[in-house]
Amino acid sequence: MEEVVASPREWIDRNESAKTMLARVLTARPLLLLPPLHRVPLRVGNVVELVGTSPSAKTHILIQAAVSCVLPKEWNGVHYGGLDRLVMFIDLDCRFDILRLSKMLKHRINGESNGSLKKIDQEHMDFDLWNNDTKKSPTYDEELYSLCMRRFLFIRCYDSFQFLATLKTLNYRIRKEQELHGISVHILMIDSIGAFHWIDRASTFMPLGATNRKTPSLQTVSETVVQEIRKLLLLHPMLVIATKATIFGDRYSMETKRNLGKLDTSNSRSMSSTSLQLPYREYMPSVWQNGCSHHRVLWINL
Amino acid sequence: MAPLKYLEQEYPILDSNFQNFCATHGIFSEEDLLLHDLHVLVAFAEQQSTSERLKQGITQVLSIIDGQHQPWLNGMELLEDAQLNKHVLSTGCEGIDLLLEGGLRMGQLTELVGASSSGKTQVCLLATSNVAKKHMGGVVYLDTGNSFSPQRVIDFIRQNSDPAIDQAKHRILQKVMNRILCHSVFDIFTMFDVLHQLEVNLRSQMQKGDCQVRLLIVDSISSLVTPILGGGGSQGHALMASAGFLLKKLAHEHNLVVLVTNHTVGGEGGISKPALGESWKSIPHVRLRLSHDQGSSIYNVSVFKHPSMVSGKAARFTIYD
Repeated sequence: MEEVVASPREWIDRNESAKTMLARVLTARPLLLLPPLHRVPLRVGNVVELVGTSPSAKTHILIQAAVSCVLPKEWNGVHYGGLDRLVMFIDLDCRFDILRLSKMLKHRINGESNGSLKKIDQEHMDFDLWNNDTKKSPTYDEELYSLCMRRFLFIRCYDSFQFLATLKTLNYRIRKEQELHGISVHILMIDSIGAFHWIDRASTFMPLGATNRKTPSLQTVSETVVQEIRKLLLLHPMLVIATKATIFGDRYSMETKRNLGKLDTSNSRSMSSTSLQLPYREYMPSVWQNGCSHHRVLWINL
Repeated sequence: MAPLKYLEQEYPILDSNFQNFCATHGIFSEEDLLLHDLHVLVAFAEQQSTSERLKQGITQVLSIIDGQHQPWLNGMELLEDAQLNKHVLSTGCEGIDLLLEGGLRMGQLTELVGASSSGKTQVCLLATSNVAKKHMGGVVYLDTGNSFSPQRVIDFIRQNSDPAIDQAKHRILQKVMNRILCHSVFDIFTMFDVLHQLEVNLRSQMQKGDCQVRLLIVDSISSLVTPILGGGGSQGHALMASAGFLLKKLAHEHNLVVLVTNHTVGGEGGISKPALGESWKSIPHVRLRLSHDQGSSIYNVSVFKHPSMVSGKAARFTIYD
């Protein structure tokens, strides 16, 4: 404390110019170009929410993004263009199908390696080289495939308490996995943040004992979730992508198609900003809405 | 989730001093710990005289919380589990099997949607007979509308069997029928009771050869849930969501095929849509729509939703009398 007071001049002198600060931030927190979300400027530390009816391709987008993230940038001479990082997936919907991820990863690996083999053939026209590569290709695909599959970390939760327990111990788990793999976690995916919404909303716990005791309710659970994610992002900067299924779809769909200019003011849980035109009815508490930095709405017409 | 004082026996570091400290912050049980910010708690613990012991207690409690959730798995482990345990069971109906690329998948919740007499119960009975006979697995059938017909199941079993083997037939038939357990449930709470009992049985059951339960049918889940939905409260939706989670948990942890049926209601513009509303849509893994051509025995089935198939794919099949 004494040091700060002793040199007030130092304190008001500038630390760095805007140009150096921008350069520093862009290298420390680079923009993530994650197909299929590559049109959206995402950065680590952002919390993105993908909203859509069921079925829309929300989980599909997550799986594609996961494949892009676990693939390395380059492997055995083939360029994959991945981010070479770990992905953590919390499945609250309990509907995740690993075979989809596996198929997509295999397709991507085979697509890229086939493309590069053809290139080598044209460029070198050396039969020995080509024969060696084809002999190598089944084995190194397998190696790359199993490496990437091991970079995908998965857990499923059957209720809010398990979800909270997962979030609370996520810090230690991330550290452990980062030590094990040697690379950092880049994305945390939560499939269907609104999965326990009805169960939490209907849970009426009797307030027992002391008055400062928190009873588990929708509000307290959501606040704790947002708090834990915020703390996690401070320690481990990563991108958080959460999907959300709309649960009040049909009743409002005709109305909203007609009144897309107006706001659904009858909804008590909607966001307070009147300039937002939401084609769906918001049901998550405002503490979660304010915690998200990006909202991407996927509206698929069936 | 236990109150803290019961944890003292197993973990002596959570002594009465620790419990009193927690009580001053309104923490009496594990649930309260989950809702509390543990870093703030550590900061408060530092101000106490016994801070070291309290911090050790908090670390101990964190490791207890670590045991409260499912284990973390990586992609390869998940894939191995899917390939070893989550096979596909054929329904006995070629059309549906072709559409679903083999049949019903274990570990998944499949929903059959259709208007009345569109063949939902017939498909359920056919699947029951097929699983009991060909796959030699146990079947648990929760019947909500007295539509389970043992005679029909016997007909299906007899259809595909070799007529030459007659002597051992009665015994075989008895053996197959013994694998099918039918419960009549008329409200959702009875269904929860039956499912919880099933969970207990499955957990404690030793691998008894061919009596392993493979198929769980709820015909129909909509008749249990519809009476409690609506009315403005969220209790009905909460029960429906809980039922969905319980069925998916049973499917995944005990490698069962879970098949439920749902009816249709009128939607916008007169087009019928599945009952149970928007929240139910995201619960089943696979949703199939059945319909029946009037007066014939030809049925149509189309895919509403599937994790790896485009919706709209359709097939036809016949169920003979």
